[in-house]
Amino acid sequence: MNPRKVFALTRAGIMESLHYRLGTFVTLFANLIYLVLVYYLWKAIYASSGVEVVNGMTFTDTMIYLILATSLFNFLEMFVVWDMSRSIQSGKIILDLLKPLKFRTYTFWSYSGSHVVSFIMTFIPTFIIVMIVTKGAIPIGLNLVYFIISTVFALIVNFNIEMIVATICLYTESTWGINIVKETIVLLLSGASIPLAFFPDKLRAVVEYLPFRAVYDVPLTILLEKNGTDTLQGLLPVFGFQILWIVILTAAGTLFWNYSVKKITVNGG
Amino acid sequence: MEDQALVMKNVCKDFKVLNRHEGLKGSIQDLFSRDYKTISAVKDVSLEVARGEIIGYLGPNGAGKSTTIKMMTGVLEPTSGEILVNGKVPYKNRTENCENIGVVFGQRSQLWWSLPLIESFKLLRDLYMVPQAQYEEMIELYRSLVDIEPIINKPVRQMSLGQRTLSDILAAFLHNPTIVFLDEPTIGLDVSMKDKIRALIKGLNKEKNTTVILTTHDMGDVDALCRRIVIIDKGMKIYDNDIEHLKGYFGSYRTLHMKLADDTWEQMLIDEKTTDVMQVITEKQKVTKIKDIRLEEISTEEVIKKIYEGEAV
Amino acid sequence: MEKKKRGLRFYADIYRKILVQDLKTKMSYRADFIISTIGMIMVNLSGFITFLILFRNFPTINGWDYYHMLFLYGFSLVALTPVQCFFDNNWNLRFQVTSGDFIKYCFRPVNVFFYFMSEVFDVKGLGQLAFGIGTLIYAWIHIGIPVTPLVIAKLIVFLITASLFMIALMNAAAATCFWIRNSGYVMVIMFRFKDFAKYPSSIFSGIFKFLFTFIIPIAFIAYYPSLVILDPSNVPLLSWLSPLLGVLFFWLSYTFWMLGVRKYDFTGS
Repeated sequence: MNPRKVFALTRAGIMESLHYRLGTFVTLFANLIYLVLVYYLWKAIYASSGVEVVNGMTFTDTMIYLILATSLFNFLEMFVVWDMSRSIQSGKIILDLLKPLKFRTYTFWSYSGSHVVSFIMTFIPTFIIVMIVTKGAIPIGLNLVYFIISTVFALIVNFNIEMIVATICLYTESTWGINIVKETIVLLLSGASIPLAFFPDKLRAVVEYLPFRAVYDVPLTILLEKNGTDTLQGLLPVFGFQILWIVILTAAGTLFWNYSVKKITVNGG
Repeated sequence: MEDQALVMKNVCKDFKVLNRHEGLKGSIQDLFSRDYKTISAVKDVSLEVARGEIIGYLGPNGAGKSTTIKMMTGVLEPTSGEILVNGKVPYKNRTENCENIGVVFGQRSQLWWSLPLIESFKLLRDLYMVPQAQYEEMIELYRSLVDIEPIINKPVRQMSLGQRTLSDILAAFLHNPTIVFLDEPTIGLDVSMKDKIRALIKGLNKEKNTTVILTTHDMGDVDALCRRIVIIDKGMKIYDNDIEHLKGYFGSYRTLHMKLADDTWEQMLIDEKTTDVMQVITEKQKVTKIKDIRLEEISTEEVIKKIYEGEAV
Repeated sequence: MEKKKRGLRFYADIYRKILVQDLKTKMSYRADFIISTIGMIMVNLSGFITFLILFRNFPTINGWDYYHMLFLYGFSLVALTPVQCFFDNNWNLRFQVTSGDFIKYCFRPVNVFFYFMSEVFDVKGLGQLAFGIGTLIYAWIHIGIPVTPLVIAKLIVFLITASLFMIALMNAAAATCFWIRNSGYVMVIMFRFKDFAKYPSSIFSGIFKFLFTFIIPIAFIAYYPSLVILDPSNVPLLSWLSPLLGVLFFWLSYTFWMLGVRKYDFTGS
């Protein structure tokens, strides 16, 4: 994959995303409403509990964590599974496979444009609003840089999970079922619905080792400088965790994809 | 008035679209742009179609054909002008209008994808409240016109394109509508399936005196089915008369077929008013040997091509 | 030509016939059915786990204890069943509109909205219904609400009421696709709003209380209607008004949906 092709695909993606202008504003607006919901809910929850800190998380921490998780969710949301199932049903998949780029690489970069747009158009405004509302509760420093690096890793992990699930769709027509199972598992076990800090210890011990944590929990923990990620010693294992899963998932995903495509071409699609 | 299945008077249709700019910078500009332009898809079209008539509604891509059909079926409202289908304004009486029309879009099936054809028919019978006797009579008629046995119990999703189109046409006639709109019914089909479908349309038209409005790019459809054609280009009606009449305008044109030394046929369109056929043959003979010669009248295909290319009528 | 009358009985009859045919074909895709059911169970399970984790950390929320919250949760699940079962085709609307296939719904002599929705009956919703009823009964027993015919009648009326609000929300969200091209996010976000229906809406205050009551009426998906059962001596006016408001919201969303159909220019072809 040469840089020119990468740039061309990203650029096309950005233009296409901007094309849907009203959609961009609506997404931002909906995000803000969601932010309000999370705020009120957790304010009430903390107020009822009568304590300031629960499992190492203050109200502000929890709120920042959940709102940015949702914002990341919108930003990371890829419709790879749906696109794949539609292109299988319409037979367009054959054309995609004939393109002179590796299919996985092609898919990844064609989403990069919309990632850039939604990062700028929805994540950054949400981030700024959260910063203002919480009056500087988000530490500002090198952690922002680490957060962005970690988000890029998260994006790759997420893409790999999406691709593996999308590959399963080559075998079954049950896209809805497959996709909802994936979404539920990712949202719950990555800490996007409720911060992992609140999980019971035994469950948490298991979740710690699964790749889903690399998608939402790791970048947000780094951003909030929790669990010792404010030091290099604390940071390295976390990045290592993400990179390890990227390697494992990329290898597994590529093997699975190549194997499946071969099988399907043999069967005559 | 009652004899007219369809009347259009000075119908226009405009669309408002955003003026998009090019490039990445343009895309960002468009995000905040209020720069709209109006596009006239249909300009001042008037048309009358009698009951039982099959007309070919032709025009190059983007001429405004489907916009017109959408207005006739009541899906779109004309910007100005008047449309009457069976004496009623389709847009204002959409449901009622739908009772009396049938629509087939060549590439998209309107049937229930996973249901066997017969079940789709039964559901349509109920949707259109077709009396059982009339329904059975129609199925009998279908049986007499085409061999429906291989498809009647097949789910639409398992059908070939040809079978699907056939099913869609049958479904469109099921409630015995007064007008049927066929949008490229033979697109993508093989020669024998095309013949089958043309015969079916002709048969149904004859039996039920159904008006058929046919849009197509396949002049074979036109030759087989229509006596009258209407041509629309850039939203305007540019021709409305019999095909024969149209061919008369190009009466001096001949298609010259020549079989050359290497057994290939070469064809050439010649206007006898300006060019001498013998001269062309002589010229050609100087270059290569001619084994056989055939001289034909201009085909519909070529007439239409000439009109699309801007030859005035 | 005599005018054919299409009344409620006609529509009920047609819906039943399409449903029977639809179920017959669904039976032939057993794998899809099983995977989707697993997916649905996962969704409900994950929601329940989130709920449990929350209550492990915080014993009450805004004065609501575990069983009352559970009642609200079960109530919302049951109320969300109709939208899942009968209006699931809303999720396909934007694809059909963009591709131009939507036009086929306009050529039949029946209501476009009805015809479109009749095409899909989602069996998976029934799993959610069972889950919801189970939760509701469990909470009901623990709270010790008396079982009288009047209470049951009230429960049914207010469950139907509550479901109207969610149907209205999803209709409106889906209909945005007539104006906005990538309206997928609007639906996804609206669908996530429903997760907040299971919390008492007394947590909101000020302008947002108004917003979540009258504009995005999530307060009506469980909170207000369920108060009629949970707190019969102290029912707020809005609870009594909710059936009326439900009908109004449904009608508004229907009107908006149909307006979209009329405004849309069907240029997809």
